[in-house]
Amino acid sequence: MTRGLHSVCLVALVFFVLLPSPAFSQEDRIVVGSKNFMESKLLAEIFAQLIEARTDLAVERRLGLAGTQVCFEALRTGAIDLYPEYTGTGLVSILQQPPTGDARTALNVVRAEFLKRWDLWWLSPLGFENAYALAIPRSRTDGAPLRTISDLVKIAPSLTGGFGYEFINRPDGLPGLETRYGLTFQRVQAMQQSLKYQAAAAGEIDVLDVYTTDGRLAVYDFVVLEDDRQFFPPYEASGLIRGSTLAEHPELGSILGLLANAFDAGTMRQLNYRLQEGGESPEVVARDTLSALHLLTGDEAVTQPVPHRDGLLAYAWSKRTTLMRRTIEHLSLAGLALGLGILVAVPLGLLLERHHTVAEPVIRGIGLTQTIPSIALLAFMIPVFGIGMLPAVIALWIYSLFPIVRNTYSGLRDAAPQAVDAARALGMTEWQILHWVRLPLAAPVIMAGVRTAGVITVGTTTLAAFIGAGGLGVPIVAGLQMANTTVILSGALPSAALALMIDGFLGRVETWVRPRGV
Amino acid sequence: MNPSALSIRDVSKEFSPGVRVLTHVDLEVVQGETLILIGESGSGKTTLLRMFNGLTHPSSGEVCIHGEPIQVKDPIDLRRHVGYVQQDAGLLPHWTVEENVGLVALLLGWEPERRTSRVHELLDLVQLDPQQFRARYPIELSGGQRQRVAFARALAADPAIVLLDEPFGALDAITRHELQRQFLGLKQRLKKTMVMVTHDVDEALRLGDRIAVLKDGHLLQTGTATDLLNAPAHDYIVQLLRHRSHGDHS
Ligand SMILES: Nc1ncnc2c1ncn2[C@@H]1O[C@H](COP(=O)(O)OP(=O)(O)OP(=O)(O)O)[C@@H](O)[C@H]1O
Ligand SMILES: [Mg+2]
Repeated sequence: MTRGLHSVCLVALVFFVLLPSPAFSQEDRIVVGSKNFMESKLLAEIFAQLIEARTDLAVERRLGLAGTQVCFEALRTGAIDLYPEYTGTGLVSILQQPPTGDARTALNVVRAEFLKRWDLWWLSPLGFENAYALAIPRSRTDGAPLRTISDLVKIAPSLTGGFGYEFINRPDGLPGLETRYGLTFQRVQAMQQSLKYQAAAAGEIDVLDVYTTDGRLAVYDFVVLEDDRQFFPPYEASGLIRGSTLAEHPELGSILGLLANAFDAGTMRQLNYRLQEGGESPEVVARDTLSALHLLTGDEAVTQPVPHRDGLLAYAWSKRTTLMRRTIEHLSLAGLALGLGILVAVPLGLLLERHHTVAEPVIRGIGLTQTIPSIALLAFMIPVFGIGMLPAVIALWIYSLFPIVRNTYSGLRDAAPQAVDAARALGMTEWQILHWVRLPLAAPVIMAGVRTAGVITVGTTTLAAFIGAGGLGVPIVAGLQMANTTVILSGALPSAALALMIDGFLGRVETWVRPRGV
Repeated sequence: MNPSALSIRDVSKEFSPGVRVLTHVDLEVVQGETLILIGESGSGKTTLLRMFNGLTHPSSGEVCIHGEPIQVKDPIDLRRHVGYVQQDAGLLPHWTVEENVGLVALLLGWEPERRTSRVHELLDLVQLDPQQFRARYPIELSGGQRQRVAFARALAADPAIVLLDEPFGALDAITRHELQRQFLGLKQRLKKTMVMVTHDVDEALRLGDRIAVLKDGHLLQTGTATDLLNAPAHDYIVQLLRHRSHGDHS
C-alpha cells in the first residue's frame, strides 16, 4: 500500500549508490585553471605539462572556467593554485583601477596590490600581450607606409570602421581612442566579432579591432597598427599563482620562470591558429610548444593529429574514453543533484501539506529560483563554494527542488478527496491518511515532478563545465569557442540522449508506482 | 421508550458568515430505530448527518451521542465505532474489496485471521461472493456492488450506530428495490441504530421507523410514516408525499 513512498526513496538511493565517490586528496597536487577561451587553455596546459615534466607533483586541470570572475575567485579561495592571467585584466577588471598605458607600470601595480591583498603572485610575463589593436587589410593601405595609429589618422576620414559592440561602447575602446588620437572614420559599422575578418577580407570594412594574438591574424594579410600613443591598456600574459602554493612547492617558481619571455605575439598567433582553425587540442599544441622550447625532460612528443573534420562518428570514436568519462561525470552531477533534490523536496512537500497556510508562499519562494538564469546561479556559488563539483551540484540541486516540491504538495493536497474523506470518517488518523491514502494516490504525481526535475537537471548540467565540474558541457563549450559543430555535437547529442533516457526511465517508474485500481 | 442514541439540540450551521445551512434543528434518535432524513438537494441532509461522527461541527447548539456531548469524545475513536456509508460509497480506489471492508478492523488492531473471517462474513451478508470479489479493486465493481461493499465496510467492526448517506442513490429502480429489500432484512436482524439520508419518498416510507423532513436547513416535521401521511405539519410535506410513485410501503 505504500509502494509510492518506498519507491521514491528507492530512486533517491539508487542515484546515490551509482555515484563514484569523489576523492578529495589534497597533498602533492597542483590544480591549474584557465578561462574559457583557447589561448587561456593553451597557456594553462603549458603550465601543467611543464610542472608534470619537471616535478613529481600530480597536476589536475580545471580548464574552461567561465571568465575572469570565476577564475579569480577560484584562485583566491584555493580551489585552483594557478591560472594564466593578463595584467590589464588584473588592473581594470579585478582591481577596478583606471587603465594605464604603460606595460611596466601596470605589471608593478598588479604585482604589489595582489601580493598585499591576497598573497597572489604574478610570475614573470610570458613575453607577449593579448591586447586590443586596430588592423587594416594590407590591400587597403594603397601602398602608403602605414605602421602606427597616428599614420591611420590621416586617411581615416575616407575609411569604414567595423568594430565589435563591446569595443564601440567601452571607454577604453573606440570613444577613448577617438579622443586620444583625434581619429574619425567616414562610417562606423557595429559587427559580430566572428564576422569582422571575412567582412574586412571582402572589402566591406577597412579597419577593424582585433586581439593582438588572434590566430586569424596569422592567415589574413592584415597590418596590425602600433599603438604609438599607448592608448590601449597593456594585457601582458603571465602566470598568477597562490603564495601558499609557492611556499609549499618553492621549485614551482623557478620551473614556471623558464617560460619568462618565451613567446612573442607572432608565435602566439601561430599557436592560436592551430587551435582555432586547425582544430588541434591544447594538449597537443602545448606539448609541441614545450618540445620546441626544449623544456621537456625526455622526448615525449606524442603529436597525434586529431581527426576533427572527419565527421561526427569518427571524432566521437576517437574521443570515446574522454566522452565516456564526461558522460559518467555528467550522470554523477545530475544524479547527485536529483537525489538530494528528492531527499529534501519530498519531505518538504509532505511538511507543507500539513501546514497549508505557509505552503503557497514557500513554494512560490522556491519557484523564484527557477527564474535565476543558470549561469548566474553558478556564478553566485563561487564565492561561497569555490569551483568544481560542489557548487555545481548545489546549483543543480536548487533547480531540481521546485518541480518536486510543487508536485508533492499539490499531489498530496488534491489526492482523491472522496477517499480521504472516507478514510477520515472511518477513523484514520491524519498520519494514517497520509501514509495509506494520500501518499500512494499522489505517488504518480510526485514521480512526474521527479521526472521533470530529472530532465531539467540533465539539461542544465551542461553548464557545469563553466565552473570546472566537467560533464558533457566541456566539449560543448570547447566546440563553441572553436566554432566546431562536430565538437559541440559530440557533447550535445549524448546529453540529449541522456535526458531522453532519464525521462524514459523515470516514466517507467511513474507507471510502476501508480497503485493498482487507479 | 428506548434511551436516546443520538440527539441534536438547537443546532445551527454556517459554513461562511451569514449563510445558514442548518437553522435551529432539534432531533432525537433512539436506540435501535432507523431514522430517515429526507429533503431536496442542498437542504442540509449530509451536513446534519456528518455532525453525528464529528466530521462537521455545529456553529451553535449541541450534539450528543449516548447522552454525552460529542466534543468530549476522542473523534478518532468515535469514528471507529460509528459506521459510515458515504454518499458516493467512498471506497479507497487503491485497496481491494477485502482491504476496504477490513479497514476499521485494521484500525482497531484486530488479528489478520479475525479480520479475514469477519470480512468474508460481511461479504456474504451483502450477498457478494467472497471468492469472486475479495481481490477486486473498486474500479472493477458495478455501482450497486460498490455501495454494498461500502455498506459492509460500515458494519465491519459491528458498530452500534450506522450513518448512511444515500446508500442506494444513483441506482436503477430494480437494483434499488432489491437492495432495499435486503436492507429491511438486515435491519430486522441487526437491530442497530441507523440514520439514513435519502431524497426519495418511497424509500423513506419503506425503510424508516421515523422520518425527519428537512427543507432549506429547517427541520419541518419528525414522525412515523403514518404521522406524516395523516397529519402533515407543513404544505411542503403534503407536496412531497404527492411524489410517491404508488401507495405500497409494506
Ligand atoms: N464544506 C462546505 N462549505 C461550504 N458550503 C457547504 C459545505 N458543505 C455543504 N455546503 C452547503 O450546504 C448546503 C447543504 O449541503 P448538504 O451537502 O448538506 O446538502 P444535501 O442535503 O446533502 O444535498 P444532496 O442531496 O445534494 O446531497 C448546500 O448549499 C451546500 O452548498
Ligand atoms: Mg448529501
